[in-house]
Amino acid sequence: MGIVKSEKTPARAAPLSETTIIGWMSKNLFSSWFNAILTIVTLYIIYITVKDLWIWGISDAVWVAENRRECFSISIDGACWAGVITWMDNIFYGRYPREELWRINLGLILLIVWMAPLWLPRVKAKVLIGVTTVFLYPFLAGYLFAGGDKGIFMQVMISAAIVCLIGNTLHSIIGVTSGSSLDDFLLRKLGKQDAPEKSQHRILLGILLASFVVVYLWQMSWSVEGVSWTKWGGLFLTLVISGIGIASALPGGIILALGRRSRLPVIRVLSTAFIELFRSVPLITVLFMATTMFPLFMPEGFVLNKLVQVIIAVCLFNACYMAEIVRGGLQSVPRGQAEGAHTIGLGYWGTMGLIIMPQALKHMIPNIVGNSIGLLKDTTLVSIIGLFDILGMLRSISRDTPWLGLHKEPLIFGAILFFLICFAMSKYSRHLETKLSTDHKK
Amino acid sequence: MTDTDKQETQLPQEQLASAISTEVIIELSKMNKWYADFHVLKDIDLVVHKGERIVVCGPSGSGKSTLIRCINHLEKHQEGSIVVDGITLDQNLKHIDHIRTEVGMVFQSFNLFPHLTIMENLTLGPIWVRKLPKAEAHANAMKYLERVKIPEQADKYPGQLSGGQQQRVAIARSLCMNPKIMLFDEPTSALDPEMIKEVLEVMVELADTGMTMIVVTHEMGFAKTIADRVIFMDEGDIVEENEPNEFFNNPQHERTKLFLSQIL
Repeated sequence: MGIVKSEKTPARAAPLSETTIIGWMSKNLFSSWFNAILTIVTLYIIYITVKDLWIWGISDAVWVAENRRECFSISIDGACWAGVITWMDNIFYGRYPREELWRINLGLILLIVWMAPLWLPRVKAKVLIGVTTVFLYPFLAGYLFAGGDKGIFMQVMISAAIVCLIGNTLHSIIGVTSGSSLDDFLLRKLGKQDAPEKSQHRILLGILLASFVVVYLWQMSWSVEGVSWTKWGGLFLTLVISGIGIASALPGGIILALGRRSRLPVIRVLSTAFIELFRSVPLITVLFMATTMFPLFMPEGFVLNKLVQVIIAVCLFNACYMAEIVRGGLQSVPRGQAEGAHTIGLGYWGTMGLIIMPQALKHMIPNIVGNSIGLLKDTTLVSIIGLFDILGMLRSISRDTPWLGLHKEPLIFGAILFFLICFAMSKYSRHLETKLSTDHKK
Repeated sequence: MTDTDKQETQLPQEQLASAISTEVIIELSKMNKWYADFHVLKDIDLVVHKGERIVVCGPSGSGKSTLIRCINHLEKHQEGSIVVDGITLDQNLKHIDHIRTEVGMVFQSFNLFPHLTIMENLTLGPIWVRKLPKAEAHANAMKYLERVKIPEQADKYPGQLSGGQQQRVAIARSLCMNPKIMLFDEPTSALDPEMIKEVLEVMVELADTGMTMIVVTHEMGFAKTIADRVIFMDEGDIVEENEPNEFFNNPQHERTKLFLSQIL
C-alpha cells in the first residue's frame, strides 16, 4: 500500500531547554535531587575559594608601600602588590636605561602599525605585508633596541624597512578609504593606469628605488645610543626571544618539512637527521650547548654574544618542531589537489606555493599557535642560563633588599601576565580558523 | 542507480561532424606500467588522431584510469614510449610541464582548489603558467564559465557548489588553459543522476567543437553518442577496439560480450 503525504510538515520552534538559560539550567544543573545538591555544594566550594582569594589579593592587599615591612604593618594577611608595582618597569623592560625606554615603546608601536593592515578589511596584498613583517621589521626593531654603529648591511636593511613601513601604511590608508592598492593609486596619480604592464612596472620600480635612496641618505645621519644586550630584560626580552623564534619558526619549518619530503635522498636525510636531533633533545640542553659548549669549538677570540646564541638555539629548536607540524599539514591535503595543479601546468613550486601550502597552513593554525604558546612559555628557561627575562626579573624582586622574601606576589603577577598573553593568542587562533575556513561553509 | 537508468540518460542525439584529421596527436607503443610487482598496463599500443573522441571502458581494475593518467605523466610508465603532440614523455621535466599545459584533465573527484573562488580556480593556470594578463585571463574564464552555463557562480567557493556544478567548473578550468587534448577520468561517477546529465551535456558540446578527447566512463549512452572509437580494457590489455556501432551491437571478444551483457 502506498502512502502519499498531502501537506508539507511545518517547522516548529525548538524546545525551551535548547534556547533559554533557565531551560538549560534545569536540564543540566537541576535535573534530579542528587544533581541539585551537587550543584549547590560545588557553588559553595567555589564561593569559599574565590572569597579567600578576593580577601588576600584585592580587599586586604597593600598597593602602596615603601618596603615589605611596611606592607606587613598595614595588613598581615593581604598580598603585598606594592613590591610588584614598584618593580613594574623592571618587569617589563629589565635594566634597559630608563631614558631610552621610548625606543622599546616605539618598536612596539611600529610593530602594531606594521601589522595592523593584516586585520583591516579591504586592504590588499596581506601576504606581502605578513612576509615583510617577518623579514624587514626585525632589522628596524633590532637597531632601535640595540643602537650603536650601523654597518653597511644594517643601513640597507633599515632603509628598506622604513621604505616598506611607509609604503605599507600608505597602502593600508588607501585600501581602507578606497579599496584600491598603493601601486594602482600611484599609477592613477601619474596618469599611467592604461600604460602597458612593463612600463608600469618600470615606473613603480623607479619610485621604489628613489624613495629608498632618500630614506638611505636620511638615515645615515640618524643613530641612537648603543645599549648592551646585558641590560635587556623583563617581558621585553621574553618577547624579543620568543617573537624572533615564532617568526622564524614557520619559514624554517617549511624549508625543513619540504626537505624531509624531498625526492632527493641527500636533502631528505639531512633534513630528517636535523629535525630528529633537535626534537629529541630538551630545549634547556640546546640552550646550554649554545651558550657554554659552542664557544669551546670556536677559534680563540671569537666572541658571540650570549643573547644571539640563545636566539639562534631557540630558532633552530622551534623550526624543527614546526617542521613536523608543517609535514602533518602537508599530508592533510588530498593528493588530488597536487594532481589538479599539475594538470593545469603548475610545477613543483607553483603547486606548493599556490595550492598545497595555503590549504595546509589553514589546517596547521591550531598547532602553530599551540607551538607558539609553548615557545613563549619555554623562553623562561633562559633565566637559568643567566638572562634576566621576565621570570628572572620576577624572582630578583625577592632578592631586592626592601622586598626581601617577596616570592608569591611577583610569580602570581607573572602567571596572570602569561595567561593573558597566551589566552589572547589561542582565542585569536580560533578566530582565524573560523575566518579562513572557506571549504566548509555551505 | 541501476544500470538500465544509466542507459536511459537522455542526451541530445545530434549527428556529430566528423572532424578527425590524419594527424597523430598521441601515440603509445609497447607501453608497460607496474605498481610495484603488479603489472597494470601490458604492452599498450594506441594511436589517437587529432579531433578524435575515444571512450575507454572496462571493469574496475582494468587499468583504464592508469592509462590516461600516464598520458599526462601523473603516473610514470616504466617501458615503451608515449608521444604526445610530437613530444616524447621522458624524465625531462620541461617536456612533462609542456605536455601538461597542452593536455587538460578532469577527475572523478573534481579536484577543484577549495581555498580559491571559482574565478581564481579558472585563472590560476592562465596567469601563472601561460602568463596572461589578469584582465585577459578573467575575460577568458568568464567565456568558459558561460559555456558550462554557470557564469553566476564565479565568486563562490567550490564548497558552495553542487557536484555537477563543480565538475563543470573543473571542465572549464581545463579549457581555460586552451589544451589540445582533454582527458576525462570517470567524470560522472561521483555524481547524482540529475547532475550526470548536465555534465554530459557540457561534454557533448565540447565534443562538437572538435576537441581531441579520451573519456574513461561507464556512461554507455554517452559513448554511443560521441565516440569515434570505443576501447575495451581488461586486466591491463586493450581487449577490443572498434567504432561504437560495431562495438555495442557486434562485440567480438568473449570478455567484451560478458561486460556488455552485464551493464546494458
